[in-house]
Amino acid sequence: MIILSTWEGAYRVVHWRPYVFPAPSHVLDATLSMLNVRTAFGDPVTSHWPRVVGGDPQGPTAGPWYHSQLVEAVLTSSVRLLAGFGVSILLGVTLGLAMWRWEELDRFLGPLFLGMQTLPSVCWVPLAVLTFGINERGILFVLVMGSFFAIAIALRDGLRTIPPLYQRAGLMMGARGWKLYRYVLLPASLPAMTTSLRQGFSFAWRSLMGGELILFVERHGLGALLETGRTSSDVAQVVAVMILMVLVGMAADRWGFAKLQQRVQARFGLAAR
Amino acid sequence: MEQLVRLPQQSPQRIGARDAAVVEFPTPAQGQVQPPRGQGRGRLEMVGIDKNFSADGKVPAVRGIDLACEPGEFVVVVGPSGCGKSTLLNIAAGMIKPDAGTVRLDGHRVKGPGPDRAMVFQEHGLFPWLSASQNIAFGLKMAGVPRREREDRVDNALQMVHLTHSADKLVHELSGGMRQRVAIARALVMDPSVLLMDEPFAALDAQTRTLLHAQLQELWIQTHKTILFVTHSVGEAVRLADKIVILHSHPGRIRRTVDVALPHPRNFDSPDITELVRLVRKEIEDEVNRVNAEMAAEAAEDRWKPSPAGGVGDHSVDVGGGI
Repeated sequence: MIILSTWEGAYRVVHWRPYVFPAPSHVLDATLSMLNVRTAFGDPVTSHWPRVVGGDPQGPTAGPWYHSQLVEAVLTSSVRLLAGFGVSILLGVTLGLAMWRWEELDRFLGPLFLGMQTLPSVCWVPLAVLTFGINERGILFVLVMGSFFAIAIALRDGLRTIPPLYQRAGLMMGARGWKLYRYVLLPASLPAMTTSLRQGFSFAWRSLMGGELILFVERHGLGALLETGRTSSDVAQVVAVMILMVLVGMAADRWGFAKLQQRVQARFGLAAR
Repeated sequence: MEQLVRLPQQSPQRIGARDAAVVEFPTPAQGQVQPPRGQGRGRLEMVGIDKNFSADGKVPAVRGIDLACEPGEFVVVVGPSGCGKSTLLNIAAGMIKPDAGTVRLDGHRVKGPGPDRAMVFQEHGLFPWLSASQNIAFGLKMAGVPRREREDRVDNALQMVHLTHSADKLVHELSGGMRQRVAIARALVMDPSVLLMDEPFAALDAQTRTLLHAQLQELWIQTHKTILFVTHSVGEAVRLADKIVILHSHPGRIRRTVDVALPHPRNFDSPDITELVRLVRKEIEDEVNRVNAEMAAEAAEDRWKPSPAGGVGDHSVDVGGGI
């Protein structure tokens, strides 16, 4: 709050140029305008503040808030995330399990995956364009490639921490074959699984934003909105979208994956509380 | 020791017990019935067991182990760390394959781990994602026991280890002693032929351990299970065992078998127990010193020497006779 008011205050007093870097009030205006609400918090305080004086020919078409750019972008990105992350989980979990189960496979794929993990996800964009073209599949490709290595590696590492004693105890009690996997190893792997999913999600979200930023397809996600802001030299919109990306990512992590992880850890007695 | 009473012919079926002075306690042992032994199921036989840690046979873990547990017998294998006693137990459980020799349970050859040889581990090995009662029910579930019967048997098992009030607790909510009691209940509920225990009380504090010794004796008298118990503690061995098997290291071999002809349940504070502990401890010390001296001599001579053969074998001495 203090930082925000100092920042805003500096603008009001020194008159920085808002097209180089926006004040919080400009960012607020930009966010609301993407929601089809016209405000002018960033204008000098006059009698009609913060209402807009006169028409804004550059602004988005008016309509109800639920048909606004922003809502559509968030929805589009969410749908892509769900689909892509789903594929990513499937691939990552399968390969992570396989690498844990067969050491030869791990020796072959392990270093490769670790290397791939260090590759920034936007580096998959050119390949996606050439292979799939500039379309939804291209974006999903970037998302999956950017996240599933991380899931596989994290899961494999987590599975390796399962005490071998559980396996022996299971065998002793007659859990053989698939029963050993279903009733002993699968539940024992839950902490590793949730950790890998949480990590995988942050990778997936970052990759998706990167992919959307570059691959401009018909439906605009949050990344595309960021790019729109750049092409129209709207710094306030750029900053507004960046803040939104952080918020969406944080919300999904805090109320989704962190919750899940906490519940599993509490069950296993791993949590500090 | 004015309380010593000579009771000949009390347990003539046991080796070395014929001429032994058998110690009887004034309280509370009198009137207690010893569980019947030598009948029913639960005869565990290990014949000629060899196991090496390295594939070329240069690092032997155990050598030429012959060990038989009669049905209902409480056998304790005692020895210093690294003598291969846990290896031996894991071979009996079927978790480790021996390089030579066979393990038979009631005449059937043991091929792998299974619920007929239930095991209690030192680190309990309970599943943290299940409650105490779910942990106990696990083996029955795997065996396909119907839910109704499963619940009854789990309730029984919980009662046996006095944990009915903690049935729904998660593993991390239980104390160390309670965890081991759940582990014992989890093993017993499957009605195994043999109960294998791998230093189950080693990680507990002394008071809890004593409490669990008493409870284990009580359980054993109730259930008449064959128990093969491994420990490094001579005190524990003397408190619990019908038969103490002393294992020596480099490689693990059975050097002595000691019958403990004290009736159950035992008074752990009795001077007879203390005396027996002293004697068994001396046995082990003498052996360790002898092996050390031999190894030193070998090193001094700096040439290969066959391993000591004199006096080696399955000698049975009744140390109780010396009291």
